Amino acid sequence: MIMKQNQEYSLFLLGLLENSAEQQSLDWLEQKVSKIKDASSPTGFFLAFSQASRFFSKDPLKLSDAKKNKAVQLVEGFDPSHWNLLQSARTYLLLHLNLEQEDWLEAVNQLFETGDLYEQAALYAALPLLPFQEELLPRAIDGCRTNMTLVFDAIALNNPFPRRNFPELNWNQLVLKAIFMQRPLYQIQGLEERRNRALAEIASDFAHERWAAGRNVMPELWRLVVPFMNDQYLADLRQVLSSTDSLEQEGGALALYQSDFAPAKALLADFPDLLTQVESGEITWEKIGIEFQNSRV
Amino acid sequence: MARYIDPHIHLVSRTTDDYEAMQKAGIVATIEPAFWLGQPRTEVGSFKDYFSTLVGWERFRASQFGIVHYCTMGLNSKEANNIPLAEQVMELLPLYVGKEGVVAIGEIGYDDQTEAEDRFYREQLELAKEVDLPVLIHTPHRDKKKGTYRSMDVAEEHGMDPGWIIVDHNNEETVKEVLDRGYWAGFTIYPHTKMGSERMVEIVKQYGPERIIVNSAADWGISDPLAVPKTADLMRKMGIPEEHVQLVTYKNALAAFSLSGQMHEDDWLKAPPIDQTKKMGGNSVLRGGQVPRVEGPSDRVEN
Repeated sequence: MIMKQNQEYSLFLLGLLENSAEQQSLDWLEQKVSKIKDASSPTGFFLAFSQASRFFSKDPLKLSDAKKNKAVQLVEGFDPSHWNLLQSARTYLLLHLNLEQEDWLEAVNQLFETGDLYEQAALYAALPLLPFQEELLPRAIDGCRTNMTLVFDAIALNNPFPRRNFPELNWNQLVLKAIFMQRPLYQIQGLEERRNRALAEIASDFAHERWAAGRNVMPELWRLVVPFMNDQYLADLRQVLSSTDSLEQEGGALALYQSDFAPAKALLADFPDLLTQVESGEITWEKIGIEFQNSRV
Repeated sequence: MARYIDPHIHLVSRTTDDYEAMQKAGIVATIEPAFWLGQPRTEVGSFKDYFSTLVGWERFRASQFGIVHYCTMGLNSKEANNIPLAEQVMELLPLYVGKEGVVAIGEIGYDDQTEAEDRFYREQLELAKEVDLPVLIHTPHRDKKKGTYRSMDVAEEHGMDPGWIIVDHNNEETVKEVLDRGYWAGFTIYPHTKMGSERMVEIVKQYGPERIIVNSAADWGISDPLAVPKTADLMRKMGIPEEHVQLVTYKNALAAFSLSGQMHEDDWLKAPPIDQTKKMGGNSVLRGGQVPRVEGPSDRVEN
């Protein structure tokens, strides 16, 4: 079953690589794969995984809409439009690592522990395509402790693995760390669906800490309190709307607008210009997130 | 502004102030040779984590300051003397030598010139040949002349091309032989002692700029991470032509270590825009010329 799945994924990746990579690089890849899949030791695989950087660039994959749709059919949330050639080749190699579960996990763990920046990023981004998801969960959780943005992003952003597998505690830690590192929250898959009361509380506490230190608060944060709006969060948002930063105001307005809490609507009515913008659909979380990343981080 | 490469610096032991100062002084790229940590390690896992740091965290840390970080991988001569441990490190090395940004096997060679040092030096020369990487040789600080000559004799015995070997920590006593035999000659500028910038100027005057490479070898001891740009300034003041200054503080290092295929001038001249989005939040150092944000560097992620 696992082998069949691996085959499907790797065929898809190969298709993407064939679109973008040089023939000579593809030949190298095929040659390595034919050795790896019958090998009883992972040594050759380790070397190929590293040396893929000599044959594949970090240019983004060229992806048609059909391929994007196919990706989601294969694995819900899989979005290779954020992938580059090199990590696709590395994932392709990984899908051909043909070992028994125990040996496979040992080899892959060693890869995680000895990986360079880009290798680690490739591994974490590949998680949703790999077998033994349950066994890899502790690795993914541990990975979120990194302070290397590139590696953190590979787990947290545009990756369906955390949404699907993280227990609430770890999910909340991931989101909080993303806020802390000022990463674009709108790129976290399942952010809305996995909002919870504890996370809303954590987000509000975090905002208060920032305010106490005289620092600004990323506007996307308020998306987390929307379903749990109460007097406490309303007071927070009142402060947000009094900000001189228009982007912060937009975040506050959108949070109020999306909430079912009647006093929230009343508060927003005091800001007719913002209300109009929100109602027209001009302000979205994605727009706020993009603008924040481009102009404030 | 002039650009510099510091091709030998142990950044894991330097502060962020150093990184900021280096970037301001024009250092665009650094090479961090794998070395010891001031005291001998006792477990192979310590080597593993150290090697992983060189290709992971330290590379990332450097990038935050706009400096491209490369490294060399190897078992240093001091720790080669713990044979059971050294054997385990040799098993670990193949995992790292093929990685991106690993520009040489090094720093390897002799310290006390023991039998064990000789064994692991030779084994690593063979490893370098196998993976097509240049070699960075550490020459001993005691009995230097003999140790330096012996390093070259053994390299030649193993059929190495001198043009692929950087012999480091040279002085007035060793430089002639090293250059005559076709090797790259590295010079480490040590403040107060040994090789100072003034002596370096004299060497470049006497031998010319060809195949000579200046570095700081800054580490956890008394050393200066700005040794390369400072020496360059002194050379200019002492009338050494700009072209020669550029050769010994930038171009020669690039030529020697880019033999690995892992180092290209474009790595810093055309840093991919995607990297700009990977920086930690609010680090104004990265944005040369831009008006710093209100929050400035204090907005970096706390570690």
